[in-house]
Amino acid sequence: MWPSVNFLLALALLAAGRALLAAPVTLPSTAIRSLKLANGLRALMVERHDIPVVSVEVWYHVGSKNEQPGKTGFAHLFEHLMFDGTRTVGAEQFSSYIVRAGGEDNAYTTEDMTVFWETVPSTSLQQVLWLEADRMRNLDISKETLENEKKVVEEERRMRFDNQPYGSVVETLYHTAFTVHPYQRTAIGSMEDVEHATVDDVREFYDTHYVPNNATLLVVGDFEAAQCEDWIRKYFGPLERGTRPINREFPAEPRQTAERMVKLNLDVALPAFVEGFHMPADGTPDAYPLRLASKILSEGESSPIYRRLVYEKQIALDAESSGNFTEDPNLFFVFAVLNPGHSPAEGEGEVDSILAELRNKPVSEEELDEAKNQILRDYIQGRETVRCRGEELGYAAVILKDPNLVNTEPQRFLDVTPEDIQRAARKYLVPQNMTLIEVYPRITGKSAAAQGRDASPRTTRAGNE
Amino acid sequence: MDEPVKIRDLFAGRKQPAPGVFLLRVPAALTVAIVFLALSGTVLAQTPAGAIASELGQFPPLVPPPKAYVLPAPAVRTLANGLKVVVIERHDLPLVTLRMVVKAGAEADPPDAPGTAQLVTALLNQGTAHRSAEQIAKAIDRAGGDIDTGADWDSSYASLSVLSNHTATAFDLLSDIMLHPSFAPAEIERKRRQTLSALEVAYQDPGYLADTAFDDLAFSGTPYGHPQDGTMESVRRLDSADLKSFHSRYYRPGNSILAAVGDITPEEAFALAERFFGNWEPKNVGGATPATSSPAVATRIVAIDKPDAVQTQIRVGDAGIPRASGDYYALTVANQILGGAAANRLFSALRTRRGLTYGASSELNCYQSAGSWEAKSFTRTPETFKTLKVILDQRRELYDHSITENELATAQSYLIGHLALEFEASDSVAEQVLDLMVRGLPLDYWNTFPAKIRALTVQDVQAAIRRHLDPEHPFIVLVGNISEFKKDLKKLGAARIIPIASVDFGSANLERPLKPADKP
Repeated sequence: MWPSVNFLLALALLAAGRALLAAPVTLPSTAIRSLKLANGLRALMVERHDIPVVSVEVWYHVGSKNEQPGKTGFAHLFEHLMFDGTRTVGAEQFSSYIVRAGGEDNAYTTEDMTVFWETVPSTSLQQVLWLEADRMRNLDISKETLENEKKVVEEERRMRFDNQPYGSVVETLYHTAFTVHPYQRTAIGSMEDVEHATVDDVREFYDTHYVPNNATLLVVGDFEAAQCEDWIRKYFGPLERGTRPINREFPAEPRQTAERMVKLNLDVALPAFVEGFHMPADGTPDAYPLRLASKILSEGESSPIYRRLVYEKQIALDAESSGNFTEDPNLFFVFAVLNPGHSPAEGEGEVDSILAELRNKPVSEEELDEAKNQILRDYIQGRETVRCRGEELGYAAVILKDPNLVNTEPQRFLDVTPEDIQRAARKYLVPQNMTLIEVYPRITGKSAAAQGRDASPRTTRAGNE
Repeated sequence: MDEPVKIRDLFAGRKQPAPGVFLLRVPAALTVAIVFLALSGTVLAQTPAGAIASELGQFPPLVPPPKAYVLPAPAVRTLANGLKVVVIERHDLPLVTLRMVVKAGAEADPPDAPGTAQLVTALLNQGTAHRSAEQIAKAIDRAGGDIDTGADWDSSYASLSVLSNHTATAFDLLSDIMLHPSFAPAEIERKRRQTLSALEVAYQDPGYLADTAFDDLAFSGTPYGHPQDGTMESVRRLDSADLKSFHSRYYRPGNSILAAVGDITPEEAFALAERFFGNWEPKNVGGATPATSSPAVATRIVAIDKPDAVQTQIRVGDAGIPRASGDYYALTVANQILGGAAANRLFSALRTRRGLTYGASSELNCYQSAGSWEAKSFTRTPETFKTLKVILDQRRELYDHSITENELATAQSYLIGHLALEFEASDSVAEQVLDLMVRGLPLDYWNTFPAKIRALTVQDVQAAIRRHLDPEHPFIVLVGNISEFKKDLKKLGAARIIPIASVDFGSANLERPLKPADKP
């Protein structure tokens, strides 16, 4: 497989007339060892011995999109509870083992998954596998820890959203762009639902989702595979398979036919806007040209969005395009924070014309090669640490459903043509598929700073949140 | 210090799990990280909390100590003009990272012109004697390159990573931007505008305000007591002559170090360094290095009033130690226990036991001639003083009763075991090695670090805490809705209350008179 990727890259460089400038780089292939236990647990292992560290990750295939109405924020709340002790290992003790070894551990929750990770000196592997197996089925959830974690999650929400300039914009965008699919809600969920969670509720959530047949274990780094497999069998093997059904049916978002728009007045210093366009799920054929399109549009200071909005016209402090590629169809978006004295409309006008160009004529081979080089660099930088490699492998296995994509997926990028990008732009990056959120600094007596410092925004309108 | 708000994190909210992690696909709509999970510090024995044995057996298996990781010795050569070149080979991935540091950062800002060093670095890749800003951007993008420039305390840097088939281009570009930036007035205007806009946003961000105010207090009267990104007033005033003068004084081969890490041999790297940096003239700029002390701040307690805040940002701490202090290792251990990277008392007291916050930590910052030791947290407005009191009590506890043997052992084993994790990515290797060289530390520093940490006793750590932690008179900064806790604030004593709109980090009392018509 890999020689052909290099060959293709060589061809691409030849096509650009730059073959003599630089020989193509080689992306080394990854040998993946796979193990499936009778209880449904899947383990994927990659050995790498240059530095004596190992990464362990457990991916539970449950995220905020699996939550039921009235029980939002549970996936994330549960992520917190996983650190609060089992019948064997007391509260705070999980991380104390990791810390004492000199390692790091943490977790995160997305729309699609909940991921627990540890990076430790390689001699700790056995202990970490034991600890992860233990909390997969032995969690001890008390009313006290649940009540405490609710308060912590509320502080987290205040920090990330309520006390953060522009903090509510993403929520508004998703709430407006999605009408039926659970991506409408962000992973932090409703504080009311979190507040009402009972021990029985979270116990049910645990028994449904935190089971070996809903988990993928990734081990990357300095270990010996046969020994590692023995430990995995010994510690995870006895855990019982889960029997409760996991919600995997999500209503498809109906096709958007007209532009949607919301104006917000917030306590921020500068106006801003974000445009979100519905796009297909990650791993589907159109995802690749769209990802390259986001590179072409805004990565690096020679990209048109940076060039035109930030550098030449100086309308924006910062502007970028990016795709939130996920298991189900999500949004491609463009955002800008405007300089004082400039309105969202000015920035939107520039973005409109840049997107129109992308729809109206194919990008140059040179621009496309640059984007492909940037993708290659991302792959390479994304493989410098064992943890990054574990993340890449987990994503390929759980979300894209094929671990070997870590080897084969780069070719999908290299195969993209200028025509593919034009076709994707015409299909997705069009006004009737767009949700626009405009943000204006609020003029109130409360925030004299925004008032005193800001050039006045175009208008003031009532917020729509 | 926190960087100004990263707006892109909010919109392109695909937050990465950790800096530099998994760049290709940034997964989370909300990366809900549990930062700094902690242990209480007192119970570390492998004692099960409940008596029920799981099918796994009662205890996690014990682990052998980490394998010693010996950082490969870098190859070092000094060019005839005095430029030091350091090379670390890693051939597993086709990537080369170049990082150049100049041994002068924001501490070298003229006292009346904070932000100079930073603005100089912002303009390095915005046009040179040979290339326009656009040509530089194009060349970097073509090489799959990634550039970063900035000014820290004690050093300024430019870092450029490229696919290894573009290595020569990277040397060429880095040399051009470091040696020949043009500081064209039009480019300065662009960056000025961007910097002012970024400051507008930062001045609404409670975290930025708290960090910056704390540093102004703790570093008062030292070269570090001003914001690295400058003030509205200084940024408006800086011109091409200021930037050129800073550049010609400090950007010299004898004051700089170049590191090359990755898919490159020392021979290749030295040859390319000679080719692209060999002609850099070691000219001497006359006169003594100017004094750079920031204004002395008279107060120890500052409260910034942000009436729309729903949380209060809290900072409590002391002036710390310079990097060369003999107490560096002991305080590193003490800081690890109070609020360090993983296991800490503050996290346990504030989050695990009381649910007052999402995050609690402490930082020991040690620079060339000064330092700070700072506890950081935030809480919902009504709990502001409860949280502040817990922090003050934890500091008092540390001062009065020091640490336990168990805490010392855990901190030691964390600091030693964690070393191998810090040398995975090329740019972090380059950063670590350059930091040693900038600070005049030996290149085998990390290989001798474990023995120095292991040698510390509880008494050593206690003595250092007694020397550098003042339980009675800490610096305190609160940023929040003051009307909700005004009464408690009065009890603290002589607090300076500053409305958010009149914050001025360039002034000696952090405040400027507020006029209704005040415009930037």
